[in-house]
Amino acid sequence: MTRPITDEELTAYADGQLAPERAAALEAAIAADAALAERVAAVRAQSAALREGFDAWLGEPIPSRLLAAAVPPAAAGPWRAWRPFLALAATLVLGLATGWFARDALLERTGTPTTFARSAAFTHALYAADQRRPVEVGANEEKGLVTWLTRRLGVQVHAPDLSSVGFALVGGRLVAGHEKPTALLMYENAEKQRLTLQWRRNDPGVDETAFRYAIENGVGVFYWIEAGCSYALSGRVDRAQLLAIARVVYGQLAAAQARPPAAN
Amino acid sequence: MGDALPHPELVAAIPRLRRYARVLTGESTRADDLVQDTLARAWEKRRLWQAGTDLRAWLFTVMHNVFVNQRALARREALNVSIDAEGDAGEVWQIPVRPAQLVRVELAELLERVGRLPAEQREVLLLAAVEEMKYEEIAIVLDVPIGTVMSRLSRAREKLRRMETDAPAPLRMVRRP
Repeated sequence: MTRPITDEELTAYADGQLAPERAAALEAAIAADAALAERVAAVRAQSAALREGFDAWLGEPIPSRLLAAAVPPAAAGPWRAWRPFLALAATLVLGLATGWFARDALLERTGTPTTFARSAAFTHALYAADQRRPVEVGANEEKGLVTWLTRRLGVQVHAPDLSSVGFALVGGRLVAGHEKPTALLMYENAEKQRLTLQWRRNDPGVDETAFRYAIENGVGVFYWIEAGCSYALSGRVDRAQLLAIARVVYGQLAAAQARPPAAN
Repeated sequence: MGDALPHPELVAAIPRLRRYARVLTGESTRADDLVQDTLARAWEKRRLWQAGTDLRAWLFTVMHNVFVNQRALARREALNVSIDAEGDAGEVWQIPVRPAQLVRVELAELLERVGRLPAEQREVLLLAAVEEMKYEEIAIVLDVPIGTVMSRLSRAREKLRRMETDAPAPLRMVRRP
């Protein structure tokens, strides 16, 4: 322990990135020198504060132009002319394979339910996997959350109580979806499985649908359209369980909507 | 094919790319432009990414290169117009601090102090302290020797610490030269 300790080494030590032999030497020096120990602690405190400060940026909704830039570029050349036909054909094949009807393919062409289910699945995958900041507003501020989402969607939002199926509200956020704000409510059970309920207002004239099921990259989605809104319940749980929960959600929302608004 | 969806792993990387871009450019709209250019470049060069390696680090490398190239180009263009093109135009921190997003005002002040560091120190600070990347990985992203990573990082941390103890400057929302 003759070589003097440089600032670089002290920083690297605090970051846990110094080579083991040298780290051992520093450890001994720090144990014997309170001023050194204090400097290491200061570097670590600075890192923690930086993480906390900069992590606040991660929760912001992703602009649609950046989502568009994450779409694989279209096949070049002669394929281009065939694209609309291929897209329709693919939708039909997918529709048949998963038991959807041609009507769904047509609905998707004009712009929605199945697109909504898929975007719900990847939005779920994105936020449910986030350990640090899965939601923007926590369940402790449920009332403010509901008021905020109601205002942004332009339609009354309710947070269903899923305790009967073992899930508690984590909180929620607003997400960008197809040029329309979409509300996201997240739930979690004792096994740390997460569900999201996504909710957005439709343009007038979109038909109501029964429950439909889709699975995207391992995320199951039940979605339906009711009273001018689209809903999607997503989670990495099996279909039967997800359906049972979707029925609870559906029932509670129907009951809430039947109640006069003054009840809130 | 026509009904392609956004790539889920890329979508998952976007918030971190936006953050890195903001730290580099110091400005939100330019940052999103940089993210968009980076994603386009990443698609072009996707065969260079080795499956199984860290996609985030690779995307950071692509972004760093796009940023450096664009900045060099902008400087060359500026030189044609005026000789007075020394300043790092556009690298002045203009990110509005939104207190609503930040639990504590000290954190807003900390980010503001980070904004007063040169871009090359800001980025190494983000990659090491916030993204918690290994110095070796950072050296690859920035294409500099590991010793440079360590010295920039140590200088950045020291400057930040001094700013904190020296001048309790009032919190300014937007800084301009």
